[in-house]
Amino acid sequence: MDTADQEHSRRRWLTYLLGTSLGASLVSFLYPILRYVVPPVSSEPSLSEIELDVKASDILPNSGRIVPFAGKPVILFRTAAGELKALSATCTHLACTVQFRGDRSDIWCACHNGVYDANGTNISGPPPRPLTKLDVAVRGEKIVIRRA
Amino acid sequence: MTRRLAVFAVPFAVLFSGALAAPAGPPTPTPPSKAVASIGCVDCHLALDDARVSPPAKLFAADIHARSGFTCASCHGGDPRAEDQDVAHDPKKGFRGKPSPKDIPALCASCHSDAAAMKHFNPSERVDQLAEYRTSGHGKALLRGDESVATCISCHGAHGILPVKDVRSPVYPTRVAETCNRCHGDATLMAAHKLPSDVYAKYQKSVHFEALMKKGDLSSPTCNSCHGNHGAAPPQVGSVANVCGTCHTVFAEQFKASPHWEAFAELGLPGCVTCHENHAIVAPTDAYLSTGKDGKCVDCHEAGTEGARSAAAMREDILTLEKQILAAKGALQREAEAGMLVARAQFDLSRADEALTKARADVHLFQPYAVQQTAAGGLTIARTAQAQAALIRHERDFRRKGLVVALLLIGISIAALVAKIRDLDRRKSPRSGS
Amino acid sequence: MSSDGPERRAAAARLSPAAWLRDRIGWDGIAHLAAKKEVPVHRYTLLYYLGGMALFLFLVQVATGILLLLYYRPSAAEAFESVQYIMAEVPFGWLIRSIHSWGANLFVGVVILHMASVFFLKAYRAPREMTWISGVLLLFLALGFGFSGYLLPWNTLAFFATKVGTDVPAQIPGIGLLLSRILRGGSDVTGATVSRFYGIHVAILPAITTLLLGVHLVLVQQKGMSVPLSVEGTKPRTMKFVPDFLLRDMVGWLIAVGLLAGLAAFLPWELGQKAEPFAPAPAGIRPEWYFLSMFQFLKYLPAEIAGIPGELLGILFFGALAAILVLVPVLDRGASRGQPSPWWNRLALVALAGALVLTFLALLPPPGQVKP
Repeated sequence: MDTADQEHSRRRWLTYLLGTSLGASLVSFLYPILRYVVPPVSSEPSLSEIELDVKASDILPNSGRIVPFAGKPVILFRTAAGELKALSATCTHLACTVQFRGDRSDIWCACHNGVYDANGTNISGPPPRPLTKLDVAVRGEKIVIRRA
Repeated sequence: MTRRLAVFAVPFAVLFSGALAAPAGPPTPTPPSKAVASIGCVDCHLALDDARVSPPAKLFAADIHARSGFTCASCHGGDPRAEDQDVAHDPKKGFRGKPSPKDIPALCASCHSDAAAMKHFNPSERVDQLAEYRTSGHGKALLRGDESVATCISCHGAHGILPVKDVRSPVYPTRVAETCNRCHGDATLMAAHKLPSDVYAKYQKSVHFEALMKKGDLSSPTCNSCHGNHGAAPPQVGSVANVCGTCHTVFAEQFKASPHWEAFAELGLPGCVTCHENHAIVAPTDAYLSTGKDGKCVDCHEAGTEGARSAAAMREDILTLEKQILAAKGALQREAEAGMLVARAQFDLSRADEALTKARADVHLFQPYAVQQTAAGGLTIARTAQAQAALIRHERDFRRKGLVVALLLIGISIAALVAKIRDLDRRKSPRSGS
Repeated sequence: MSSDGPERRAAAARLSPAAWLRDRIGWDGIAHLAAKKEVPVHRYTLLYYLGGMALFLFLVQVATGILLLLYYRPSAAEAFESVQYIMAEVPFGWLIRSIHSWGANLFVGVVILHMASVFFLKAYRAPREMTWISGVLLLFLALGFGFSGYLLPWNTLAFFATKVGTDVPAQIPGIGLLLSRILRGGSDVTGATVSRFYGIHVAILPAITTLLLGVHLVLVQQKGMSVPLSVEGTKPRTMKFVPDFLLRDMVGWLIAVGLLAGLAAFLPWELGQKAEPFAPAPAGIRPEWYFLSMFQFLKYLPAEIAGIPGELLGILFFGALAAILVLVPVLDRGASRGQPSPWWNRLALVALAGALVLTFLALLPPPGQVKP
């Protein structure tokens, strides 16, 4: 009978639609999950330890630069003797960002002439406290900064 | 009482033989043990309970000189062992009573300017206070016979003198201004000296006052930072930049390299104070560069002159940079509120804030090119941050589009389910048997 | 039909792989039971879906939770950063994490609704008392999941909420301090607490929940669906569980998934700031919404009532309420006799209203502070 055939085909079409839409939905759930399971390229999640983009050999003796660490600036510098050090770069006086002075091998804050030594100790000017020390570890060319 | 005095009489006699011998001479710098203190004078003066003579005795116990072993007689002379007032106060025993203001500096200096004497107590203590004082406004007036000016005891106190580093001392950094204000806020007294009496009120409006008193930054200047301690006098017009420059080094160097340095010297203008005031130093704004009521440049540079054009150019650069930074911050903030992580972009943008600060500092070179260069650096960073915000926005839109796709599929599935359910129900209804 | 012997073996040799599997796991028996299951249809049938929804949401939590633990690190030094990593670096990490956080709230909400509907339908009356009791225990486990999971991101809000929350059992005389120490893994909330809560959240509670859930579901199947008293006695129309009820269940589940995905995309769960144990507590600390009524109630208690610390009395009060909740089927004599129990209903409504009012009050900004 016509109506019976129509019914049948409609039913089949309905089941087909249901299966396909459920299947497609399932794929839209599984796709993010499968992408999620594959670890991203930077596999170290910890921001208490960061591997830097800059190479160890890029930092010459008696020079320094500012790098970000957990959203805050850190001054990474190499002493004349060749040792790599890292200190918080936020001046303890009024929070300006400090800089390394190669000619004097010290750390200077341009805002009000605050001076720190290579250990972060405040030696001159208004800063009331030393700069926080951070741990630096070098693995070949990679530099890793960690909270002390 | 007599026995107690007798016990201490011998060492006292030995040590104070010098004081007893000469009338108003310098006290011997090797005092007896602290336990002796000023037993004689203090006991009597306390017992008298008189508003004129008792307070010094009460205060002296906390005095640093008492802790170092000095006694009332060290400054006032007299015989501290005597019970009889006439004996104790005998001028032949060196008693000089209450010194007059004009004698005070010399009295204090008799020890404090003696390097060998001071070395016994504090080797790194300065010994040039009297010399400085003589260069001060107070010192000069005192020499002229004006006894209404400040002497040592006006600021340090007379009897309960505390070290400067003691927070209770009237010359501790947070208390210096109110100490100076005791006289410099007295309108009548100041009028007699042709000085303003509203200086403290002005200072209280300043950023230095706020930093010192409210934020507890002891490196922030108060009266003596700029005027000197003992040689207190206002810096000369030509010295202002140097004085401000002891802390604000960058600005001072820039100012000295700028065309204003010589121009101000020629005009006799007081350096930094010309635009920033001396006491009511408030936080400067970009409006200083404008032609409005807060504009400072227009005070000298009329409209149309090169100076006015320079000011306008600098202002333009700074305001543009500020605008772009705010736009970047706003864009990132919107993304943060939508739940995206913006920490890295915000960190990079903070370098632009530094550029803005530096651009504002570079104004003191009074060369528009310098400001333009610095601002350009900041603009690059701000524009990069805006681009990063756009990328983050893009990612956010991708998530939402992805969501729409997923929801669409879910919606279709639900619709298909509902249709299927209806179909099954229809099949079960009496119309067509299962 | 099946019996061991040569006949069977011969029959087995001819089976397709699918049919072989069905035979070996006894699928036909299960399918037969499922086909028999019927769900009564009446005006309250919609409430029947809540149980399945709770189960579905629990499974969503298990799935997203397992995915999260692939990247999460349970230590004070790394917990926050690992969650940040999941949100920022891991592809679709933001989705999984937000679904898990929103899902937790949805799950607890649905469990409470499920319990309320079972209560008002009196489905706990004989012979379903154990189903109710296991269900209430499952509710407590769900709250335990919520409390332990809340700390794991190690942000400021979670740290202080956990501090306050684990201070509460310390009030119990005698064992209180010991209990608090066991919970915290020490005398304060530290990285040790994170490790411990993590173990509780991913191992201990799931193990207990699996057992209890199994019991709960078996009991539900054993006893069949209960009907409200008003319907009892009549012979209501029924619908087959498979496929009719199940398909409708699936509609609800799909809506829930869509809702969770929408929430994740438009209202992502916030990360907050990393916890600093020595910083002072910020204003406005409060636990998740399902604990707010108790939290607010404790605030109103005076420091001492008749020599007994107010907080202790509060805890005892909650303990009593919990005990009553568990024992409702035993205590409600009327229901066990098949009669309406209006006083129980009124008591429950008062308790619910009270909880709602307290929750609302807890959400208001503290006096003298404008809500940002």
